[in-house]
Amino acid sequence: MNFIFTEEQLQFKDTIKAFLNDECTPKSIRSGWASKQSFNQNRWKGLADLGVLGSNLPEDSGGLGMDQVALVLMVEEMGYAGLPEPAAEQTFLINDLLRMLPAEMQENIKDHHMSGESYISIAHPLAPNPLFLNESAGLLVFEKDSYYFVSKNDIEFEEVVSNDPSRELGKITSIKNTISSSENFDLLNSAVLSRGALMTAALLIGLSQKMIDLSSAYALDRTQFGKPIGSFQAVKHMLADVAVAIEFARPAVYRAAYSLSDNNPKSSLHCAHAKYMSTRAAEIACKNSIQAHGAMGYTWEMDLHIFMRKAWSLMACWGNENKQQDIIFHTLKSSKNELGVLYTF
Amino acid sequence: MKINFTPEQDVFRQEIRSWLEQNVPNEPLLSLDTKQGFEQHREWEKKLNAGNWSMVTWPTEYGGRGLDLIEWLIFEEEYYRAEAPTRVNQNGVFLLGPTLMEFGTHEQKSKFLNAMATGDHIWAQGWSEPGAGSDMAAIRTTAVLENGCYKINGQKTWSSRATYADWTFGLFRTDLDSERHRGLSFILVPLNLPGITVRPIAQLDGEPGFAEIYFDDVTVPAENLLGVDGEGWKIAMATAGFERGLMLRSPARFQQTAAKLLQLYLDNESDCSPAMQANIVEAWAQSESYALSIYHTASKMLAGGSIGSESSLGKIFWSELDHMMHQTALKILGASAELSLASKHDSAKWIKGFMFSYAGPIYAGTNEIQKNIIAERLLGLPK
Repeated sequence: MNFIFTEEQLQFKDTIKAFLNDECTPKSIRSGWASKQSFNQNRWKGLADLGVLGSNLPEDSGGLGMDQVALVLMVEEMGYAGLPEPAAEQTFLINDLLRMLPAEMQENIKDHHMSGESYISIAHPLAPNPLFLNESAGLLVFEKDSYYFVSKNDIEFEEVVSNDPSRELGKITSIKNTISSSENFDLLNSAVLSRGALMTAALLIGLSQKMIDLSSAYALDRTQFGKPIGSFQAVKHMLADVAVAIEFARPAVYRAAYSLSDNNPKSSLHCAHAKYMSTRAAEIACKNSIQAHGAMGYTWEMDLHIFMRKAWSLMACWGNENKQQDIIFHTLKSSKNELGVLYTF
Repeated sequence: MKINFTPEQDVFRQEIRSWLEQNVPNEPLLSLDTKQGFEQHREWEKKLNAGNWSMVTWPTEYGGRGLDLIEWLIFEEEYYRAEAPTRVNQNGVFLLGPTLMEFGTHEQKSKFLNAMATGDHIWAQGWSEPGAGSDMAAIRTTAVLENGCYKINGQKTWSSRATYADWTFGLFRTDLDSERHRGLSFILVPLNLPGITVRPIAQLDGEPGFAEIYFDDVTVPAENLLGVDGEGWKIAMATAGFERGLMLRSPARFQQTAAKLLQLYLDNESDCSPAMQANIVEAWAQSESYALSIYHTASKMLAGGSIGSESSLGKIFWSELDHMMHQTALKILGASAELSLASKHDSAKWIKGFMFSYAGPIYAGTNEIQKNIIAERLLGLPK
């Protein structure tokens, strides 16, 4: 029993944190919004150079061979920075699913569409509008009982406007030349659902942490009645509630990542648990952060909403709280004797 | 990261499991807040001690098993799974014991530790006073050193277990000119001394789980002082430290409640509104998260990390969770939720637990005080 990260994993996380701190500032995010070009090619290339984009590809394909446990720490930092580029999607979903796809599809994608910096988008009934199609080399689509891959050149799509300007979404209007399959659909669909839930959970933890950090700083800075508002218990208690919610969601995210890397048969439950807990943490982080900021929290000017908008989108995508609740409930009901005090691990 | 138990940990689990299977009484003991139940629980402490299961986390030099935090969590999981009796000497074994090991003299250790482990000394806590609740530094009960003895005058209250306990430990003002945290001393007091009056306080459930202790010129020898005169606050803070906070409320207890709640729901599902599913999921998800968080923290500590104000986060989380679970149970029970233990109805243990769950957010530092601690020490907000 050793429920902690290795020095190496923590160092890699720190490297990414430092990079994002410099390269992914609220100012740079806003400039992406202004130019309607939130996907910043330089930043994307920077992430590739750091090894982030290939971090979880096997070493013989030029990756770093990292597992989901190392990855989840990185993704948390992407949330913290409000990173617009889909690096979490690329690593957590595409890279990881690739090895599970049928050989023909896998080879086609690898040979024609994947290089160090290329990006492949993904769509699924729980996240139906793929991100940044303009920047993508291709698109992997999950439907009701089959899935297909299509090259960027064979897609026509229209823009869909997200409430988070950092998420440039598309809706497919026509496609041709798809490579389609239903082989192992259930297995693949379950894998993508778990990964989608866990990826958004890790991003939400990072975003919630950012919101409470911004709020604590604001409450320390803003004075009323001659004192910082953070000295008032009403404000303190609101922010303490957020800290509690994050504290008890985070280990659920780490455990779910470990479950995936360990091929635990309960990993679907663990990923649903991670998303459920982190969604609830993010909900209270949004609510209490905007409240701690007062009217300033309701402005476009304050940076808080950069992170709040992303949190709202990620709470909704890849299975919202209700969806995860259903997964957990049905698992509890069908395996009540294997859950509880002796079955945490 | 490797979140699995080692073969040695599994062997240990089997060992405690089979001992509990052979030794846990078939019939539940009477409530430890009754005279007879208290003595039954004292007997249970003796039995635990005979099997060397009484103070498993104490170092072997003090007669314990020297378990690390992970092994302790395993012990607790098995303990709650077996539905073994509540530890009547929790104050001694988990709070005072480790404090004595850290601050006590050789003589104090030999006098108190073994008697604590055997259940011969059951301890009560003596912190709060009528004017010193959340504001513990407002303590006014005095202990004046005269001719090698402390003469104690004043009143303690909300003292858990004091109705039937043998000893109490707590903070007393030894420097009469001092204020707040200074001038307080940590003193151990036998409850059978002349001048002591223990007045039981009936709790919400009608039983005397705590008491007032009146001190009227009570004389205790100076050797009952723990640590240095005037430095009691520091020792008291160590008593309330994380590791002991963790031991006060290990996750197994809440996971066991969540599992029983799920069973209660399934037994009554056809009568339940579908809206109850959300509560059942919440109970499981939060108790699971609490366990994960404690294992995560225990792993960090075993790797050399230290924990401070983070224990305040846990206090809030488990106490709110416990209340939510019991409230859910009562909703499932419908009209039978009002039946008391005296009705001998199966469901009545839920209402007993429900009432007790109101105490969680109050004792061991109210949740409001914990939120102040979180805001000031973890989030950096000003006092």
